[in-house]
This record gives sequence, C-alpha cells and structure tokens, in this order.
Amino acid sequence: MFAIVAARPRRALAKMGALLASSAMILSGPVAAQSIDPEKWTPDYVRSIAGKTTVDTAAECAKAVPLDYEGQVDYWYVGPNEANPELEHKMYADFWAAWEETYPNIEVNAQNLGYNDMLNKLRTAALGNAAPDVARLPILWGSEFAAKGQLSELKPEDVGYDSANFWPGAMKSVSLNGKTWGIPTNNETMAFIWNAGIFEEAGLDPEKAPDTWAEVVEYSKQIKEKTGKAGYGLVARVNAGNTPFRFMPMVWGEGGGALDEASESPTYQDVWIGKEGTVRAVQNYYDMYVRDKSVPVSALTNTQTENQDPFLANQLAMVIAHPSEYATMLDRANKATGSDKEAAMAVVNNMRYGKIPAGQDRRAVVFGGSNVHIFNPDNVEGDLDMEAAKALVCFMTGPEWSTKLAWVSSNPGNTRGFETEWMKERLDTIKFLDVSTSMLPSGIPFPPVAESPEIMNIIIPEMLQNALTEKMTVEEAVADAEKKVKALLDGM
Amino acid sequence: MNSRFRITRWHVMGWIFLATLLFFAVAPMVWMLITSFKSQFAALKYPPELIPQNPNLEQYERLLSPKNDVGRQFLRYMLNSIWVSTATTVFGVAVAVPAAYAFARFRFPGRKALFFSVLFRNMFPAVVFLMPLFIMMRWMGLVNTYTSLIITYLTFGLPLSIWLLKGFYDNIPVELEQAARIDGCTRFQAFYMVVMPLSAPGIIATAIYSFITAWNEYVYALTFLNDDEKLTLPVGLQRFFAEYATNWPGLMAASFIMSVPVVVMFLILQKYFVRALTEGAVKA
Repeated sequence: MFAIVAARPRRALAKMGALLASSAMILSGPVAAQSIDPEKWTPDYVRSIAGKTTVDTAAECAKAVPLDYEGQVDYWYVGPNEANPELEHKMYADFWAAWEETYPNIEVNAQNLGYNDMLNKLRTAALGNAAPDVARLPILWGSEFAAKGQLSELKPEDVGYDSANFWPGAMKSVSLNGKTWGIPTNNETMAFIWNAGIFEEAGLDPEKAPDTWAEVVEYSKQIKEKTGKAGYGLVARVNAGNTPFRFMPMVWGEGGGALDEASESPTYQDVWIGKEGTVRAVQNYYDMYVRDKSVPVSALTNTQTENQDPFLANQLAMVIAHPSEYATMLDRANKATGSDKEAAMAVVNNMRYGKIPAGQDRRAVVFGGSNVHIFNPDNVEGDLDMEAAKALVCFMTGPEWSTKLAWVSSNPGNTRGFETEWMKERLDTIKFLDVSTSMLPSGIPFPPVAESPEIMNIIIPEMLQNALTEKMTVEEAVADAEKKVKALLDGM
Repeated sequence: MNSRFRITRWHVMGWIFLATLLFFAVAPMVWMLITSFKSQFAALKYPPELIPQNPNLEQYERLLSPKNDVGRQFLRYMLNSIWVSTATTVFGVAVAVPAAYAFARFRFPGRKALFFSVLFRNMFPAVVFLMPLFIMMRWMGLVNTYTSLIITYLTFGLPLSIWLLKGFYDNIPVELEQAARIDGCTRFQAFYMVVMPLSAPGIIATAIYSFITAWNEYVYALTFLNDDEKLTLPVGLQRFFAEYATNWPGLMAASFIMSVPVVVMFLILQKYFVRALTEGAVKA
C-alpha cells in the first residue's frame, strides 16, 4: 500500500492531497449531523443501555431492499482464518446462514482474504476494472479508493440507517469531497495490556497500570532492572501500520500530532509534527530504547506480532494491543494440552487491561475499525447489482450483525448495536470489553488524506529510527520529520 | 589409517565449515517439524521446548482429513497446486525442448538477438508485469482460471528452461545426429530417438525447475484467483496469519506438508538436476 503511494509522482500526490485536504474541510455534510456525545460513553453507560432494544434485521433491511429480491453480489472481506479464535468462525458461519435465510435469492460470491493479502489484490483488481461489488476494508484503506474515484457514493441513509447512529470519527473516515463513500461496520480502540505476574516480580502493584507515559518509561526501566525481562513492547518498524497505531497515542497525549488531527476542528492542513509534544514522545521512546534499554532489542524491526509472542511467553510486561488479544490467548489456552494448559491459563489469568496512558496534554488513542464500500460500476467485474449490494451492506451494518461480527475483536459501528441483547451478552462474557469501549471517546482517527500512509508509515517511523539509532538527536529527528511532512504536503 | 589419506587441519576446518552450512540448512526444517507438533501456546513458550513436552498430531489430522472444513480446503489447495504445477511443467518442457534444440542446432537470421531477447524478460522483477498481465488476462476472460496462472508461469519459466536445455544440447555431438540421418532417420527421428534420450537429464532438470517455480509462486496466484476453491497452496498458507495473530503450529505443519512433494521429487531426481547444472547450464 504505502510503497505505491510513496512512489507516486509528487505532483499527482500533491494534487490528490490538496483535493483530499480541501475535501476534509467540507466534511460538514454527514459528520455535522452526528448526535453522539462521546463523553457520555463510559463503561457504566455502555452497560446501562445494553439489552434494552430488540432488533428485527430482516424487517429493517426489507425497507431498503425487498427480501425477495433476486440478484448477485461479489464481496471481499478480511474474515476469520486459522489464526483466529473458534468463536469468530462461528459468528461468520451464523452470519452467512442468516443472510441466506433473509435474502435467499441473492447469491453472494464471498472471498475471505488475509489481512496482508487484501489491499494489493484489491488495488490491482480495481485498476483492472475487476473489483468486487462490495468490500469491507480496514478504516484507513477506503480513502485511497475514494480519492481515485473507484467507489460509489454510499451513506447509512441509503440502506435505511441514520448517520447519527455512527461514531463521528468513523464517519470522517468514509467522507471525502463532502460526500460519503461507505458505512462503518465496526469500531474499536487499542488498550494497554500488562502482565500482572511480571509487575509483581518487579515490585510493582500488579493491579495498577501506569497512568501516564512518563510512568510507562519508569515502569519499563524497573521491570528490566528487577526481572531482566523487557518492560514495554516498543515497536518502531518502518512501513508497518503497528508503529503509528502505538506511537501516535503518545504523541497526541503529549500535545503533538502529525497534522492537526488531534485538534477540535481539524483542517488536516496544519503540520503539528514539530510541536514540543512530539519531541516529548520521541524522547520517551529514546529513554526506553537507548538510555534504559528496557524494551526488546529488536524494537526497530518489530511489529505487534513480534511482541505478542514474548508477551504470551511471559517475557514482556506491557504492550498496546487489540481488544481481541485476551480472546486469542484464551482460545490458545483452551486448546493447550497437558502441562501447557496450566501454564497458558496462568498467563491468561495474569493479563490485565487498562486505558492507554495519558500524556501531559490528554489521553488519546487511535480510532480503528472497518468500513464497507460499494465499488464504482466502472471498476467492477461485470455489471454492478446495486440493489443486491445494498441488501448485503444493510444486513451487515445493522445493529445485529455489526455487533455479532465484532463479537471478539471490536464493537458495533452502528451504535444501536450497543443497545441490543447481544451487546449485553458480550459485556457479560468477554472480559475487559468495557475497557476498550470506554476508550472510544478518546479515539482520534488518522488524517483522512492521501498523504496519511506516507506520513504515518514512513516519515514517523523514520523519525523514530533516526532518534533511536542516534543518527540524529531527538530534536533533529523531529525537525527532519517536520520538513519532510511539509515538503510532502507542498508536493515537493 | 590409509597412509595416502592424512587428516590435516584443512580437512577439519572443511568439515566444520560444511557442518555449519548443514546446520543452517537443516535446522530451520527441523524446527519447522518440531513446532508443527506443539500446541499454539507451547509454540510460544520461553525458553522454547527443543523437544515438545506434549506433542500432538492435531494440526496434521486437521490438515489431512477431508472430514473437516480445514482439511477439505487444504487438500483442495494441494490438488490445485499439483494441477497448476504439473500443467506448467508439461507445457513448459514441451515448448522449451524444441525451442532450445532450434537455438542449439539451427542457424537463422536474428538467432542471437532472439536468443538473448528470450532472457530479456528475466531482467525485470516479476511483479512489474503484474498489472499488465492482469489486464491482459481480464481482457481474455481468463481471470480466476488456472489457465491464467499456467500462461504466466510459462512466461516466466521458459527463458531459463530454454537456456538450460540449450547448454545441454550444445554438449551432445552433432555427429550422433548425422550418423542417425545416414542410417535413414529423418531430422525429427534423429532428434526424438537420439538427442532426446541423451538429453533426458537436462529435460528432467528443466521439469523440476518449472515445477518448483510454479509450486512456490504466490503473488500471481493471489491476484488472479478469486475463488476460494481455486486457490493454490502458497496463497492458502496465508490463512494461518491474521491481523493480530499467527497460528504457528498450523503454519509449520502446512509448510511441512507442502514441502514433501517437492523434496521427494528432488531427492529422486536430484542426480539429474546436478548433472544438468554442471553439464549444461554453464556452457551456453
């Protein structure tokens, strides 16, 4: 993804960037209509509304597309595979069974692609006018296809839902040129996960997470000194989405940014990367990696996958990870045999979830999730059956299936899902779910501009690498990154 | 000890060097096999278990049993890979053998230019051709068919196959064919009855090369195929990686199973392969 964007001629990129940046200012349409007040979404509030509503998905979708509609739709998505918990497989199987029952005359050619496979395959297919009719994409991917004119306009109202029932941050991610190009399916934020056993070994309170990034640096040092194990799971790999997902919350928390995405009314035209807050965040990384050597030595080439394994092996104390981490670990523990089962359960029992630490300025986290899009008829293979596509989109973005398909790993994009009996069941059965839902109000989406991938996945990780390898001082590395971002936005 | 063979320190150093190379070649394979017998949790334990404490065959049972979805899918991928690789090999050899023979024996205008142009494609990374080939395949209505993969693999594999075989034919004395012609053979009969048997090791080596290339190819298979039922094994292996997790034992078991047909074929035919490399490829 990012290599292609980086290789694109600067002028074209600048033009697209200007288009997107200006469009980001005209987000007013759908986003302004939001009525969600993120501040009230505390864990208590989430629990208080769960189970209060019953939903009839078939009846709701029948208003958008008749249930006896006959048609066909090609659909690509990142679904569960051999690395996912059994529960996710079951949910997807249930989804397809319910779909066939609801729309028996719409044939869906669904292709479940790997997360690492899908983007480049989709790019090639769209350029070759062989894209699927419908695709569900991670939150950052859609803006690229929208900017290229490869998507059809699509908003919640087109399938009978209200934009006001979706998170403002999520609606921003599907908005461009004042138009809406998709519907959020699920949204989540990362959480701070720690190993209570290692905390205890290091003489820390096993039940108390570090509340600030400064404390993370201190804890990491103490853990390394007392136990010899790595403290914080720092990742700084270039061209890997995991790096900005874990570093930007620290930057925003300390008062910095890439552009002005963390401001109240972002224009995505102001460059914030040179701010003192960014310097503080890079300094935190420098202190952990260079000064204290309290993080994995391989951090410069690590992604979260490389952190997950030592964390589960009891060799790493703190990571920022996905809400699904607990479910994944529990699944592994359940499948372990003999003495492994006991050891696995010990790790599971030691897992603790907390809010992402705050910086000097605020508490922040990346707003993540997925959106569903319908491709432009010119870019799909054969004729686009818009009604069949809308039926599928309606079905998956309703309160029921946006909750069930996000069962283990996320939260419903359609916030009416929070009111359903299924959400109540999730809250009752999935440990730590309320932690990640309570972080949603602190969620900040990455700038929905064409330069975003290059800034987040190339310039920012390179800034970190310049500082962590001591090629530059922290201040020089930040100044260098600021220069690069400005040059990128200027189309240089 | 034989007086003519004395162990010198050079011998010892040589053995150490070879043992080191052997270790780096074999250790990953052994580790892959060991991991495939572990549970997902045990695969991540630290310090790692060199010998699994609770070994199990769960991954193999799942992958090789047509009674469950995972097994059915995996076996389907394996059949698809065998079909695509075999077809690529058969067609590749069928084209490479006469083409290489023509380059070795005939003199025609533009021969050298044509011969080097055959290799021209190999000067570019395969991924450069992804988009143009995809558009061509779509234009021909071949997207999501095995034919698209077979044509693509032939495009990539043929140049080296032709070079490999030409070097081999160059080593077969032309006098043998002339003698056959004097004995009444047509040119084709001389080729078929004299040259081909002599070049069998080269043909086998070319076949192995074509098969392995097609067997391991990933990017084009991922891009051209859209139907789960049609995917090949390298694409299927990605099913063990999720966004936030990897099923290491499953991946290792699948990789091991995937390597078996190629390793067995290579072990049986490796003497021909080595012979072809030493006799043919270096003498273009």
